[in-house]
Amino acid sequence: MKKFITIIVCKLLRFVGKILGKGSSMPGKVALKICPDILNRINLPPYIIAVTGSNGKTSTVEMIAHVLTANGKKVAWNKEGSNQIEGVTTLVLDSCTLGGRVKADILLIESDERFARYTFNYITPTHYVITNLYRDQLTRNGHPEWVYDALLDSIHDETQLILNADDPYVSCFGYGKKEVVWFGVGELSTDTTEFSGVYHDGAYCPHCKQPMSYSCYHYDHIGFYQCEHCGLKRNDTAYTVTAADLEAGRAVINGQYEITLALKSLYNIYNILAAFTVASLTGIPGEKITPCLNNYVLKNGRVVTFALGSRRGTLLTSKHENSISYNQSLRIAAADWEGCDVLIIVDAISRKYFTGDVSWLWDIDFQLLHQENVRRILLAGTYCHDLAVRFSFTDIPGEKIQVLDTVEAAVAALDNDRKEKIYVITCFSDKGKFLSRVKMD
Amino acid sequence: MKLLHLYHDIMNLYGEYGNMRILTRMLEKNKIDYELDCLSVGDAVQVADYDFIYAGSGTERNQKYVLPHLQTLKEELSQYIEAGKILLMTGNSFELLGSSITDAQGKNWQGLGLFPFTVKEQNRTRTTADAVFTMEGMEHPLVGFINKCGTIEGIDLPLFQVKMGLGNEGRGGVEGIRFKNFFGTHLTGPLLIKNPYFLDYLTTILCKNNALDHSWMEEEKAAYEVTLGKLGERLAQS
Repeated sequence: MKKFITIIVCKLLRFVGKILGKGSSMPGKVALKICPDILNRINLPPYIIAVTGSNGKTSTVEMIAHVLTANGKKVAWNKEGSNQIEGVTTLVLDSCTLGGRVKADILLIESDERFARYTFNYITPTHYVITNLYRDQLTRNGHPEWVYDALLDSIHDETQLILNADDPYVSCFGYGKKEVVWFGVGELSTDTTEFSGVYHDGAYCPHCKQPMSYSCYHYDHIGFYQCEHCGLKRNDTAYTVTAADLEAGRAVINGQYEITLALKSLYNIYNILAAFTVASLTGIPGEKITPCLNNYVLKNGRVVTFALGSRRGTLLTSKHENSISYNQSLRIAAADWEGCDVLIIVDAISRKYFTGDVSWLWDIDFQLLHQENVRRILLAGTYCHDLAVRFSFTDIPGEKIQVLDTVEAAVAALDNDRKEKIYVITCFSDKGKFLSRVKMD
Repeated sequence: MKLLHLYHDIMNLYGEYGNMRILTRMLEKNKIDYELDCLSVGDAVQVADYDFIYAGSGTERNQKYVLPHLQTLKEELSQYIEAGKILLMTGNSFELLGSSITDAQGKNWQGLGLFPFTVKEQNRTRTTADAVFTMEGMEHPLVGFINKCGTIEGIDLPLFQVKMGLGNEGRGGVEGIRFKNFFGTHLTGPLLIKNPYFLDYLTTILCKNNALDHSWMEEEKAAYEVTLGKLGERLAQS
């Protein structure tokens, strides 16, 4: 009876909440108050796929849902990205019958990495993807090792781990385990043998703390690493990007499945690869997965194209407090050989909580914009002076840089007839302030 | 002038290298010659050779990893501090100079014992907060951020008064440790960039010159005012 009431209440709140445009975590929160172990009492489908990690969760989950649905599977998933236990509870209860059975073949859960241990205390995933572990929102998360320890508590022995082999932190979850499915990117022409970046989180082995070496880097601490002391190394992968050409916008998985990229970044390739791996493990053949991922444009609004007067631009949502996310966006702008202007906005650091901490700006490799083809750089928002100081420690000539207090002033400064494409790099908290002043496609 | 950034590659929670970048810029702008060494675990360190030593914040595991190496420098560091030379340790690096650190598993790690304080860590809740601190002898408060998982007891000579954020033993109170020119604080990241007046304070001691040129610090000071203003608004609301 308690179960029945909890489900009814959650569904009602969800229904009303949708009409009022409220988020998806509140109904689950109420449900957990009424019945704290409600998730234990639900009849779950045979496939429970969980995805966590610092970056790429939302995009990966969206692509998995897309591929599975296109192949006739019924998928229940947290589309809005409410990824703590409350949001997952809303998802599960909203997707189930009044008798408590989830009406789907597959339950697909994006989970916040710090809170996964609470969610998966009640739900045991059959498959668990961990994408990467980066310095991310340190104001809440502490640091990657703190998150690692929290995630370790969320892993059940019977769960099939699906791990990014190229990230040494993630690979520690599979250290000494036999049954792991590894995915990763093979050697690429864009790899470097020397580390490039501001800080090197792979300098010391995350497992034994002895100095670690790399034969090549894809980006930051992602690549082919090995620790001579404890034997931690990049594992051989079952699902592999065997070739990739970012300029041409294509990637090949396992030597035979060629995918055209809507977003030409290595980041996107990892998300596609993770989605491909999961879809394969649910029994969908590669030739049926490939067309679904071909040219797939994410609907989560992370990449938005727009017009400003006669000018064209792309906004790349990049997470504040996440240097690797920023670096990826900077690389996309820097690779535009036709020439571009770049606007970076740091106005509110987070949309979810207050902080005035900008230490993370110092971890971002802004030097990546030191390129002939990057013509002008505009630094805008409340924290524009912090950005200006940070840029003064790059080799980028000062005359290329303009510092503006407000987003409004930045839009005005870009509203001219220059031919260069505009790249806007900013976060969820600030992107609306820009997009409300331009014409989105 | 000889400067040392100790454990630069492992006690680097985020952006700590920025402290040495701004310090050396200050020296360059004032035409003061310097040499900067970046050393880490396994390197031979001649502590007495330096005029300024800095170590930053690290993960709990990295902090324990550097401890045995730092132990080998105990006597030299003690003499260095007694001699009144500048030692700046931020984040959990300064905890290593206390008598002990008890980790979340209950294991006791012997510190260098140069000061009698003790540290107790836990692993359930990360304690983080924006910070506004004041210091005797400095007109401008410091701004910054604290990111830790422990509490410290037994510090008689704190560095700061907490106006906002976390102190040694919890919310509010006093923070850090000061003895002669040893400055220990849990402020993380590039605090010398965020606090141009504190940079000025330290370099004044370092160069024994209270007329250093800081006219070049316009953006740094503007950034500081913005952060102080934002934190002040926040403080007024609470």
